[in-house]
Amino acid sequence: MESKTFWECNKAYILTALGLVLVGFVFVKYLMIMDWGYLIQFTLHAMLGDTSGVMSAPTSELQQMMNAAFGPAYNTVAPEIIRASNERQEFIWYVFFAEILIFVLLYIKNGRVNPTITKPNDTVQVFTSFQRAVIWLNIGMISVLVLTGFNITWSLRSEGGDLPRLLREFHELTGLAWIGVWLIFTIIAAKDMKGWRSNSTFRHFLPGSYKPSKRVIWFFYAVMGAGLCFSGAMIITLHPSSLTHADVIQFRRVLLYLHFGASVLIMFFILDFVYASAISVKGYLKGLWTGTYPREYLEQVAPDVLEDLKKVGRA
Amino acid sequence: MSRMKFYCDDYRCVDCNGCVVACKEAHEIPVGVNRRRVITINEGIEGKQKSLSVACMHCSDAPCQKVCPTDCFYIRKDGIVLHDKEKCIGCGYCLYACPFGAPQFGHEGIFGVKGVMDKCTFCAGGPDETLSETEFEHYGQNRIAEGKIPMCASMCATKALIAGDAAEVDKIYEYRTAKRGENTSLKPYGWEAYNNGK
Repeated sequence: MESKTFWECNKAYILTALGLVLVGFVFVKYLMIMDWGYLIQFTLHAMLGDTSGVMSAPTSELQQMMNAAFGPAYNTVAPEIIRASNERQEFIWYVFFAEILIFVLLYIKNGRVNPTITKPNDTVQVFTSFQRAVIWLNIGMISVLVLTGFNITWSLRSEGGDLPRLLREFHELTGLAWIGVWLIFTIIAAKDMKGWRSNSTFRHFLPGSYKPSKRVIWFFYAVMGAGLCFSGAMIITLHPSSLTHADVIQFRRVLLYLHFGASVLIMFFILDFVYASAISVKGYLKGLWTGTYPREYLEQVAPDVLEDLKKVGRA
Repeated sequence: MSRMKFYCDDYRCVDCNGCVVACKEAHEIPVGVNRRRVITINEGIEGKQKSLSVACMHCSDAPCQKVCPTDCFYIRKDGIVLHDKEKCIGCGYCLYACPFGAPQFGHEGIFGVKGVMDKCTFCAGGPDETLSETEFEHYGQNRIAEGKIPMCASMCATKALIAGDAAEVDKIYEYRTAKRGENTSLKPYGWEAYNNGK
């Protein structure tokens, strides 16, 4: 059996990590105005159940009154929220441009895989009805969330009003409904973790041994989705109230920032999924809809999937 | 040009909530929304209990205006920060940006999602036609147009809450703090909460 080097086995993970470290460094060093020391401290306090944002007992009556009336440490997180909101309005186009450029370069380098099909009627069922329902429900809901999310981000262009307000409400309700769909998909994402490979339930949910490049998409979907679901649900649940404002405002600010960050990161990997399923391989999207693929397609494009289906007598 | 400001004297405020009730009554504000609230610290501790009435502080460099994605805020020449409810989409960003927790959101519809933002207008109405029914329905009374001071300040029994031209209010503040033998160079609560960090 051909042995692969560490680099060959983990190239996708390493390149993704390097890319994120590079982008993260530029943002943290040159753009963000967050008080990172406070944020780390706050996160630790929040994990222990204290979400007030008060890191130490007030040393003066003024500080005590400010904490009680307005919430603590305004200048630690709020200015970054303002900066990030404006940045999203003005510069998010550049992020999409860079992401699409990466896929264009990939396409130029690798082209489109076009499997030769001579027996189109010899098909194998890969996705069950349940799986397809979950997959397309997920695609539909994410599309709605992306569009309605951009409706909030770019409402300077729509100039607000009834329709954008309705879309914003729809974003919140769809987001709450998506939590269930995200959870099912997270189980799918977890099915290919190496430690669970022998578990037949996970192994057969989606057949095939996914390459690291695909695992990265699933991994980020699961992790960033968790961030979006948690922050979104909490933001909606912690409805603004004048009586509890000072106790929860800092927590809400951090949650909104988490929502911003997770949405930007998940978008890249969603675009990656769109490229992988709709552009890089001809016929993949059609199979995702019908649930079946020609046997020759699987032999040429996804032999690992065919191998798994044969093991359970589905091919 | 004068610049309108609130000042709440925490030595005089007795947590009666008269300002809160007056505001809600005058502007017919729905349940769950409080344009003004009273905060008390060290409650029950003799000599240390203090209260403060809080609402929009009408910042000169309003962060709510900076963060609003629909650009629904505007600042009048007299410094009063107002917003257009027809434009507001209820995203809540202004609440995250506000140092004072002024923006308020009611529940709307069968799902109880948050509606458009509501906040203290300094009793100066909004962008609708002055003193019209629509203006009252959206923003409440326009007492400034009638030559009156905001309802909360006019109803304050102990005159802890004062509203008006910042220079005049500052004079009263300095007089009171000097009379108490305190440092007059310190500004009232909220006057520098945001600007200190800049």
